[in-house]
Amino acid sequence: MSTEALSPTTTKEKRGAKKTDAVTRFALLGGGSVHVAESHAVPLVSITIAFRSGSSSDPAGKEGASKLAFRMLRRGSRTHTAKEIEDELDRLGAELSTEVSVSSSALHGQVIERNLGGFINLLATLMAEPTFPEDEYERLRRETLAEIVEARDNDRSLAQQAFRREVWKGHAYARSTTGSNKTLAALTLDDVRAAYRTHFVQGNVALGFSGDVETPRAVELAERLAEGLAKGPRVPDPVGEPGRIPGRRLVFVEKPERTQTQILIGGLGTSPHDADHVPLSVANAVFGGSFTSRLMREVRSKRGWSYGAYARLAVDKQRQAFSMWTFPAATDAPACIALELELLEAFVSKGIGPKELSFIKKFLGRSYAFDIDTAAKRLHQGLDVEVLGLPADYYSAYLAKLDAVTVAQANAAVKVRLSADDVLVVVVGTAAELDEKVRSSIPRLAEHKVVPFDREE
Amino acid sequence: MPVAEVHHRIAAAVNATSKSSAFVHFLGQHAFGPSTVVRYGLSNGLTLLLLLDQSAPVVSYFTWFKVGSRHEKPGKTGLAHLFEHLMFNETTSLAAGEFDKKLEESGAESNAATWVDWTYYHESVPKDRLPLVVKLESDRMHNLVLRDAQVTSEKEVVANERRYRVDDDVEGAASELLYKTAFTRHPYHWPTIGWMNDIQGFTPEDCEAFYKTYYAPNNAVVVVVGDFNEKRLLELVRDAYGELPAAHVPPDDGHPEPPQLEPRTVEIKKPTATEKLLVGYHGPALGDAGHAPLTVLTEVLFGGRASRLHRALVIDGEICTDLRSWVSTFSDGGLYEIYATARTGKTIADIEAVLYPALARVRDEVVTDDELVRAKARLELGLLQSLETMGGKAEQIGFYETVLGDPGAAFQRLEAYRRLTASDLRKAARRYLVDRGRTRILVVPDGSVTEVGEAAQ
Repeated sequence: MSTEALSPTTTKEKRGAKKTDAVTRFALLGGGSVHVAESHAVPLVSITIAFRSGSSSDPAGKEGASKLAFRMLRRGSRTHTAKEIEDELDRLGAELSTEVSVSSSALHGQVIERNLGGFINLLATLMAEPTFPEDEYERLRRETLAEIVEARDNDRSLAQQAFRREVWKGHAYARSTTGSNKTLAALTLDDVRAAYRTHFVQGNVALGFSGDVETPRAVELAERLAEGLAKGPRVPDPVGEPGRIPGRRLVFVEKPERTQTQILIGGLGTSPHDADHVPLSVANAVFGGSFTSRLMREVRSKRGWSYGAYARLAVDKQRQAFSMWTFPAATDAPACIALELELLEAFVSKGIGPKELSFIKKFLGRSYAFDIDTAAKRLHQGLDVEVLGLPADYYSAYLAKLDAVTVAQANAAVKVRLSADDVLVVVVGTAAELDEKVRSSIPRLAEHKVVPFDREE
Repeated sequence: MPVAEVHHRIAAAVNATSKSSAFVHFLGQHAFGPSTVVRYGLSNGLTLLLLLDQSAPVVSYFTWFKVGSRHEKPGKTGLAHLFEHLMFNETTSLAAGEFDKKLEESGAESNAATWVDWTYYHESVPKDRLPLVVKLESDRMHNLVLRDAQVTSEKEVVANERRYRVDDDVEGAASELLYKTAFTRHPYHWPTIGWMNDIQGFTPEDCEAFYKTYYAPNNAVVVVVGDFNEKRLLELVRDAYGELPAAHVPPDDGHPEPPQLEPRTVEIKKPTATEKLLVGYHGPALGDAGHAPLTVLTEVLFGGRASRLHRALVIDGEICTDLRSWVSTFSDGGLYEIYATARTGKTIADIEAVLYPALARVRDEVVTDDELVRAKARLELGLLQSLETMGGKAEQIGFYETVLGDPGAAFQRLEAYRRLTASDLRKAARRYLVDRGRTRILVVPDGSVTEVGEAAQ
């Protein structure tokens, strides 16, 4: 990926530039930036308006404010009612969605190329001139409460929520992005307006265009979008480094009539700023990051216990989680948990071998072609670096760093960063039939609790 | 030189170096939007569809077999899907697990899918690894080894997949019941994943018989999209597949579904907080003239937040949380499905009080010009989105070839959408959205779940 920083006044000089697969970055007045990745293969343009802040900016007790603020953008602007916005999006052949995570947030749009101008006009007013109508706000709040109830039908989602709450207990990452019945009831429209004012400032935005658009036009359109925002600096990240919670803990999320369980096991993982970030990622891929990984082989291929068996290292601004995910039949759950813990112990104490390292390097190195095979993917690498504050060479030097990983580095990283002793086990299932057996399957269990699936502690 | 002549000459050059009785035949070209799909055939009946796309140095390779769950018999349901799993196992030249290892070592993305009419296998690889994919796919088309231990283990994996997708999933369970109820004689009556008892009863002999019947070059279509050399690829295919014998594929004997003369209703109780309604009307086959207008009508009624029923049931009426509709894309007439989730305190009766009058209205009155414009733009966007990757293009080409015998039909449908009038939509509504052909699945809470819990995101 090649990058260059140009002031907006010089962008016209780039009009005759040769088109390449590169992502080009331009600085915008006001502290923002725009990234462009051209591809004229399909007459579509994708636009991402990313912000360097997310739900961690919500004040304590006001969880859900940022997410509501983003969703309110399509509920009314100076020029359009909510209904008119939806009609216009469809007329243009456009889609618009919002994404709010703990550390960042974004508007994602896509439009048929011939309607790009109209889509930008609409986006500009949504971003810069939202009206936050009271009736629409109340409607959205009721909609969100209904979605919270509906999400309880999804067992995997229940496991993820419990894992987040418990693995980050006492830390900002434990807080909900959506909010809860309690916080949504307490939120006011002023809180939501305040959240909008926090995020939507010029210094906090990174825009991205990919697809069937010429770079100079993309830059001009980005300037228009950014100019409408209030002046203001990048929003600082209030989240600190999370700490490890000692001991083995079990949280059993009780749900009736389950024939299957959803199981997440994990603890602290990696930070993109760790010197051993790539070695740890490589070791994790051996352990549970591919279809032939240790976890998949032992749980699915040999025993047929779970349709999927994966280990994952999440990446965020601060250290994120390591987790193993399986979903065996209820009858196989205790044995599956015991096996996963044994595999984790062996992974932490003995690490990986040279043949495994050699194999996974080929897999990761060659499959990298699919991380950059579309303009949209190349664009998002550039935006990730900027929005999450990743090291500048996080993607551009990835293949070289991967190639340099040694067995000793990978195993040292596993020993330092992962633990088989300080782990959280989350099980969604029917406790009356399973709780005792699951407890027995976890040696040295220090803490245990059963939580009803439809209540938050 | 005419373009067709170029391909004739390439085929002649490939055949000139053939050391066997295997020959390649150029069979024609198909417009695929602005691109061209080239059709070749082998003497043994294998169909090969090629689309050159050099926008990234990768290749996507799909193998479609014209066999799905509609080709199964009662008592042996789920065999096509179980077999898809078994295709990743041992062959006469590759030990168990080696298939996946070789692909991963090459950086491949791979997957497979089975549905009512077809099964496909997919690999995307860096372009220099294409020869390996040709070799692996041709090998498992004829040389698979089916041992008892692997069949037993894979049956357990599929049983767990069924628990995940159906038994512990409210919508999955309702969808299975809808087809079971709406179809009484046609094989669409049973689910592609199969009934649990059938899954657990399969033997290696069942699998062997299925393999010999349906997995043969004359029942397969290979689609290659990406950056490849056409002559070199044809040579590879000739050498890898050319000697595989054709099979006698039995004629399709799926019993036609008799007309449904009375509405049908089934009620089930589930551990969920809110009521759900799933409605199915007998609809057209993908190749029927009524399919395109019914698809556009679906967008008018249910496509996105601006659609009539989303507005009435989700936004204005606040009766539903989730609302979706789909016209099945099967080779025989399937269902026009509507899925609606009631909000807390709302009932299925509340949903139906709005839904059926809205369906009656589109039988009586034509939709507005603006609604028609918006629906067509949404469908155009959807098609373009499906073409953003090589894999997306290969899937579209293979799907339409397998179901309709025309690899470029996606774009012809787009043209058909553009020509449709409001009268065409009304005609389709009158033909298909008839009360006597309606099947309703009512999902009601079993009382084990409270509606007032406190849950976070």
